Amino acid sequence: MIFRVFVNFKPGILDPEAEAIKKTLKNMGYKSVQQIVKGKFFDIEVKDGKDYLKDIEKISKDLLSNPVIENFKIIKSK
Amino acid sequence: MVKKKIISIIVFPGSNCDRDLEVAINKSVSVKADLVWHQTSHIKKTDLIFLPGGFSYGDYLRAGIIASKSPAIKEVIRHAKKGVPIIGICNGFQILTECNLLEGALLKNSSELFKCEKINLKVVNTNKFLGSFVKDEIISFPIAHSQGNYYVNKDDLKKIEDNEQIIFKYSSSDGSLDKKFNPNGSIKNIAGITNKHKSILGLMPHPERAIEGSKKNDGLKFFKSIYRML
Repeated sequence: MIFRVFVNFKPGILDPEAEAIKKTLKNMGYKSVQQIVKGKFFDIEVKDGKDYLKDIEKISKDLLSNPVIENFKIIKSK
Repeated sequence: MVKKKIISIIVFPGSNCDRDLEVAINKSVSVKADLVWHQTSHIKKTDLIFLPGGFSYGDYLRAGIIASKSPAIKEVIRHAKKGVPIIGICNGFQILTECNLLEGALLKNSSELFKCEKINLKVVNTNKFLGSFVKDEIISFPIAHSQGNYYVNKDDLKKIEDNEQIIFKYSSSDGSLDKKFNPNGSIKNIAGITNKHKSILGLMPHPERAIEGSKKNDGLKFFKSIYRML
């Protein structure tokens, strides 16, 4: 069983990397680009047989994201 | 003779200011600090703990997060609960926010640059850590970081302001808190804060790099002031 955890900044948190990517896209000629939100994801494979969702939620909150500045979303992918 | 206090410095893989801190402490207060490896699961008696600057665990995942789960940090939290003062400098500050001993978080610098320069700080509140400093005094420490942009949500900002937890703000040499003196985009120019009980201090600038070579070595005063409180 694989859980995919997406982590990205909460709205309003400045992400200079995303800003740099946006500027670069404008330089490349993509003038209509309005906003870039950058994030990351983690694929966590666990043994089948138990519902690990609660554990994955705790892992996402305690380690993979910082709740002060980031949101997370979990998708069960397999 | 007064018995010397025990000062511990936690060393993580990737810490790079642990030795500087050891030298600065020795030069300031003539104490040989204990260097404690991050895998240590029991820290006996200690009167003060430092979390040094650097790039613990290569800043993997988020600066400070991996270190915040290490065995030594469990001990730091245990001692903190007993009221032992804890001071986190630069990466140490990031670790303290990641283990929720201090409010807020440290984001990437708004300029997208690693900032390494000597800056001025205004002491906006004094407390037992800074008994030798006066309110509104301007001091100077170097900074060296790419993730020093302090962020805290509006409600927590009000709490730390009302409770006088903000200690250092980036300023000009005459105390102006204009945004142009803010090197990293930090909210309200914040450079250092304490916890609610004023027993834990986190700051981005490096006092251990301000102990020699200038007329006003404010780092010496910083360490002496802290030692006096113990």
